[in-house]
Amino acid sequence: MSQSELTIPGGHEVVMEASPYGIDKKKLGMWVFIVSDACTFGAFLFAYGYMRIGAPVWGTPFGFSSILNGMVMTAVLLSSSLTMLAAVRAAQADETASVRKWMGATMLLGAIFAGLHLREWFNLIGEGWRLFYNPTGGAAQFGATFFSVTGLHLTHVVTGVIALAFVARGYNQGRYDQSHIETAGLYWHFVDLVWMFVFPLMYLMNAH
Amino acid sequence: MSSNRELTMTSYVGIGVGLMMIVVVEVILTYQHLPSRTLLFALLCLACLEAYVAIMYLMHVKYENPILYWTIFPATLFVLVFLCYLFPDAFRMFNMRLQ
Repeated sequence: MSQSELTIPGGHEVVMEASPYGIDKKKLGMWVFIVSDACTFGAFLFAYGYMRIGAPVWGTPFGFSSILNGMVMTAVLLSSSLTMLAAVRAAQADETASVRKWMGATMLLGAIFAGLHLREWFNLIGEGWRLFYNPTGGAAQFGATFFSVTGLHLTHVVTGVIALAFVARGYNQGRYDQSHIETAGLYWHFVDLVWMFVFPLMYLMNAH
Repeated sequence: MSSNRELTMTSYVGIGVGLMMIVVVEVILTYQHLPSRTLLFALLCLACLEAYVAIMYLMHVKYENPILYWTIFPATLFVLVFLCYLFPDAFRMFNMRLQ
């Protein structure tokens, strides 16, 4: 196993063992966060399934226009993953201007996704759906599960956009390096990954 | 760190298009009026396929040290699958309800 030696003031030598995972400690920390967050989303989706099975009548409020909106949201989020990959590639090649451009594109696509998401929310609220109220007379839990799961995901997207802005600014100022861009990218792909489950389970299973 | 065997940007765009095609298939299946259980099973299978591709290629796990994969994923999958242990209780709740 490879080892790196570190000499500290005073002449003592410390032998630092390399990570067995062979990845940067920031990335490893992000993986641990992703695992815990995956379990959080898993628990939310499980609660949704549990309540849906236990309810006699479940709301199916999504018409084709909502599904189409969801598809556009998916395309926007997938595109943002690709722009994030381009930003990581640019950071690895040490192309600062390119990193700025691709990070900017990723943040813009994230903001568009959040806007489309909020539009869907406002449409539902306009139709009378609330956290604990179903205007069609079915199970009230639909609102609770839909707004909590999609709200948690939306929080991740908004937090991700803010985090990307901080990382891009730090990289631009020379305080951060490519490993920070890679770590931020890992988080952003996870947000995309979660949506791959949220869209079919929360939208497609509730389409009429 | 990631190795030099990584895909080109064009290949990543191809993966993105492929993932979007899976979403289109999911939407088409939704409007085939399949029984709920069949639709749920099909959507979950497709979502898992998308997740696998995203984890392996977009999140670069395919190019990392395999120990990362074997440390993280079996344990996470175990937790997520065992959450379903309580699902029969939802059926009990449904069947015990006053008719």
